[in-house]
Amino acid sequence: MRDFQHYNAESFDEASERLKENEKSVAISGGTDLVNLLKEEILEEAPDNVINLKTIKGVDYIKAEKNCLKIGALAKLADISESQVILKKLPILSKAAGSVATPIIRNAATIGGNICQCTACEHYRFSHNNGGRKICYRKGGKECLALHEKNEFHHSVFGGMKIHNSPCTDNCPAGIDIPAYMERLRNDDLDGAAKIIMKKNPFASLTGRVCARFCQETCNRNNHDEPVAIRNVERYMGDYILENSEKYYRNPNKNSGKKVAIVGTGPAGLSAAYFLRKEGHNVAIYDRMGEAGGMLQYAIPAYRLPKNYVKNTVDALKNMGIEFVMNTEIGTDISPEKLEESFDKVFYDTGAWKKPVIGIDGEELTVFGLDFLMEVKNWMKGKLGQDVLVVGGGNVAMDVASTAKRLGAANVTLICVESEEEMPAGKNEIKRCREQEIEIINSYGVSKVIRDGDKIKGMELVKCLSVYDENNRYAPVYDLNEKEVIEGDSIFLAVGQSVDLSFLDEKYQLDLTPRGLVAIDEKTYMTSKKGVYAGGDMTSGPATVINAIVSGHGAADAINKDFGVEAHDECDVSEEPPFLKFDAVGITRKDAAELPLRLPNECSLDLEDYYTDLNWEQVKEETSRCYNCGCLAVNPSDISPVLVALDAIVKTTERDIKAVDFFTKTPMVDGVLNQGELVKEIEIPAWDNYKGSYDKLSLRDGKNFALVSVASAYKVEDGKIVDARIVLGGVAPVPYPLREVETFVKGKEINEAVAVQAGRLACENAVPLRENANKLQQITSAVKNSLLNAVQ
Amino acid sequence: MKDYAVLNINGEDHKFSLGERRGQVPYSETLVQTLRERMGFAGTELSCGEGFCGRCAVLADGKAIASCMTLTSECDGKKIVTIEGLQKKANGEPDPVVKAVLDYSRFQCQICIPGIIVAVKSIFNKNPNPTESEIKEGLSGNYCSLEKECGIGTQLVSHLAKHPALR
Repeated sequence: MRDFQHYNAESFDEASERLKENEKSVAISGGTDLVNLLKEEILEEAPDNVINLKTIKGVDYIKAEKNCLKIGALAKLADISESQVILKKLPILSKAAGSVATPIIRNAATIGGNICQCTACEHYRFSHNNGGRKICYRKGGKECLALHEKNEFHHSVFGGMKIHNSPCTDNCPAGIDIPAYMERLRNDDLDGAAKIIMKKNPFASLTGRVCARFCQETCNRNNHDEPVAIRNVERYMGDYILENSEKYYRNPNKNSGKKVAIVGTGPAGLSAAYFLRKEGHNVAIYDRMGEAGGMLQYAIPAYRLPKNYVKNTVDALKNMGIEFVMNTEIGTDISPEKLEESFDKVFYDTGAWKKPVIGIDGEELTVFGLDFLMEVKNWMKGKLGQDVLVVGGGNVAMDVASTAKRLGAANVTLICVESEEEMPAGKNEIKRCREQEIEIINSYGVSKVIRDGDKIKGMELVKCLSVYDENNRYAPVYDLNEKEVIEGDSIFLAVGQSVDLSFLDEKYQLDLTPRGLVAIDEKTYMTSKKGVYAGGDMTSGPATVINAIVSGHGAADAINKDFGVEAHDECDVSEEPPFLKFDAVGITRKDAAELPLRLPNECSLDLEDYYTDLNWEQVKEETSRCYNCGCLAVNPSDISPVLVALDAIVKTTERDIKAVDFFTKTPMVDGVLNQGELVKEIEIPAWDNYKGSYDKLSLRDGKNFALVSVASAYKVEDGKIVDARIVLGGVAPVPYPLREVETFVKGKEINEAVAVQAGRLACENAVPLRENANKLQQITSAVKNSLLNAVQ
Repeated sequence: MKDYAVLNINGEDHKFSLGERRGQVPYSETLVQTLRERMGFAGTELSCGEGFCGRCAVLADGKAIASCMTLTSECDGKKIVTIEGLQKKANGEPDPVVKAVLDYSRFQCQICIPGIIVAVKSIFNKNPNPTESEIKEGLSGNYCSLEKECGIGTQLVSHLAKHPALR
């Protein structure tokens, strides 16, 4: 193992301090877990320091007091299992301690170490010496390896547990808790799912159609087959939310007295408006165009985003009491200063609509791609040639090329500097263009327009050797000797968009970044002018709808904070369930639910490219493909279920923690203990008149982690159980108290039939994995026997 | 940080210098490494490396521990007895436990024997008159590769329970 510095602590305080001083420190008690972790280099980071707790004197005691038992954290399991005191007062603990591993290990192992030990999962414990440790979900990686690999002995039959965000949530700019809403949908809880989405994204019907789907790129299913069709599910939910807009876009019916002006009805502005209006502020949102939506309305073609969804969204926001002031340009109709005077805060999101100049000969003959899309939106037919050239590799270029084809151009050719893999456009969008017989020429830039006076003849292309430099910056390198000429009679440039700030006169200027975007504080979205905020494309450059929504939300949060208003979650979701459950059969479905795509020859400008949406059955089937990524490893300790059953108190160097809070809220002890916090003592109340037992099923002697164990305490009177505590070990990520079984058996006469029924009840809502379904039968048996033994 | 550890190994005190320099015992060195590689006490076997097979068992202050899971740097002041120490005690005689175990006729590969002797000594240190089930429990940490063909958990137990050298 890697070497380390070693300190013998003389007190818990000293040990805690040393652990806090350097975060790369670990404490060692018996060493029967830690030494192996170090030898096999299982953890990603080897510690710098090992702090020995065995040198702390007087903390290995076993004391019986009036109503409880107190055990020092360094008490050895051998002493606990042989203690006459414990045998008399709590034989269940003697039995549990005696069942751990082997007598040789028990001579060194401590109770404090036992309850803090790491899981026995073979993927977590994969030795670095065997070809590289596995960075599984529990260690901060993306996927729980047990789901598809070996999961026979040390894994849960009741679902996983969350340790950190799943990769889909992490990659979503809005951080939507996707697995959580998928689980709600599996339980037919559309309202719960809607609330989870609305927390971060109020426009799911729009993003459900046009989002770039960052979530699907990192879905763990990509390692196996097709990612979950998250966008298609979100689309269904977005439409549901709009259909019930009076519930999800509620007029707050309160007045905070604050007024906020928003300039720009693009997604950033609409998002800011929603999150501000929720708190009862008066919100007025301005736009120089006639209809609201920004790019959603004017740039994204109707065949990708039918405009009725935009209109319904805007209507829902209007019904919240948000005032829309259209056809009003700031700088022309109202000065920025006037806005600042009339409102408490101003948020700008005027977007990036300006044509950039790329500096080629004949550029004046080209058309800005965005202008084209806007003209199409306004139904201007006309100057479209037959051989259309489109320059650009992003989604706008795709939209331009596809729109030109739908308008009837005979040939449409797309030219971009990027290679196919580098193209920023979505893979599906590229595929769609090819299906419409649009030719894509990769790795060529344009050097000039070939003209005959004012008539376009074609373009001269120059080979692009590379697009990005070593620092991943845009720095195309051309081979000026390799040139090509391509014919065409119309040229559209869709190589980017610039931000137009000319509406702010010289007196009212905001600081800009070197790239010409409005500079804002990362956290507060405030510009260089106090009380003036900005977001969306004007601060980031052209980006996606979901990025804009996030920036609007962020600015609203900052404004709320400044107003001293606590943003409340109107859409409060009920408490999260403890285990992440998934559909054990559904996850084997390999194909994602796809929307039926319109045939290329039927594509038009104003019909959506999909024939229909998914129906509810299809949505539910797709949600059943979500793994609900969590850690499936079971808690390895035999003592933990006993302490939970007996309502023990774990006393640390900082506080007293109830056993159920210490053990069952999170699967790793790191999630409970602060850095440097150590377990000092365990206090167990007296359970006189209760019959307790710890029954353990394991595979072998020696390395005998429980496959299924039952920690139980029963109060029996006249052959009936009047009180029961039953906690299962080895079957879930944390000790699993069987509350329903406890209620079921109280007051009942226990016979074989009742005991079997209780055993079956224990297995309700189980989610067995591929290899461990036999645990269910073992649970039923173990619970049944535990009950029958109690009343004998 | 302690820079030395004094271990009494098989009756003799040994002072080890702890540290990362050449010739020093690193803090991360396990007791089994020290015993086998530095002290030459190769009777203690290194097998599973995780503490559950019992083959690396040595006595520390009279109790059997897994030396592969013990850091030498943490054994300062401890009295370590290996199989060599039991085979030849201070008076030159083997410990009675050794005779009792070696009298058993069903050992085959014999790799478990040093660990078993240590474990049995640990059992009898705790209780000079253990019951058969206490002996069985005490041996439950000694793994037999031949899947108990040698009767480690059964016949050996009754053999030891009856053996005159252990009464």
